[in-house]
Amino acid sequence: MESALQGSITKNLPERLLRFFARYPPQKYSALVRPQPDPETTPKADSSTLPSPYTANRDAKGFQREDPRAPSASRSLLWSDPNSPNPFLPVKVGERWQGARIGLRRQADLVKMAKKYGVEALLPPGRKSTEFKETRLAEKGLTIKGTGIGQKVKGHRWERTMETRLEDRRKAMMEMPETIRMWKQRGHGRGWKKWPKR
Amino acid sequence: MAKKSKSRTVAVRLISMAMTGYYRTMIRPRTHRPLSMLKYDPVVKKQVLFLEATKGGRAK
Repeated sequence: MESALQGSITKNLPERLLRFFARYPPQKYSALVRPQPDPETTPKADSSTLPSPYTANRDAKGFQREDPRAPSASRSLLWSDPNSPNPFLPVKVGERWQGARIGLRRQADLVKMAKKYGVEALLPPGRKSTEFKETRLAEKGLTIKGTGIGQKVKGHRWERTMETRLEDRRKAMMEMPETIRMWKQRGHGRGWKKWPKR
Repeated sequence: MAKKSKSRTVAVRLISMAMTGYYRTMIRPRTHRPLSMLKYDPVVKKQVLFLEATKGGRAK
């Protein structure tokens, strides 16, 4: 079925995409043949699985991944078979990194073209793919700081300190009858020692 | 030139003990003991204790 599908597609594809697919056959390179990531080990960019960005704790530093060096959800999408290196990704040769065979500009062109003809899934996984961009966006949020999953907006000082202030007030009001009783007992302030500081 | 004499009265700040940040300003004779009184705090909508705040943190 796949070959039949490919046959119908290849007729309409532009020359540039055909050349690409001839050089990097989808059977070997495309995102479709990428091994499915283990759902147990790889983190998800799904908002329901991550902790809420809102926390009642004022000192919280926001969401931290358990192991910051572990591959993130978007990172794990960029897969390269060691035997046939992904042309969209850099390759480590010995100690040094070799740049991607196809640069980001050409990748973007190819992805745009493939999207137009509905064959984006046949391209190798890369940073320009819709899949990667969507995952990345979910991870990092918009360009507005603090709107991503697991991040939180800093807010104004009065917002951040609201909880503790209300707590202080609540405590003070709980103790108020006792305070007033003490104050009356000590001669309406004559024997009072704990004056507030300005 | 003679030193400028201090005024007989001082303006003091009475702070609500409900920790709302609400305060009232009053004038009392300088030699009087610090003021303290029950007053209405509009933030908690109750009568609470107001105590005079010591300037520079030193109680009289």
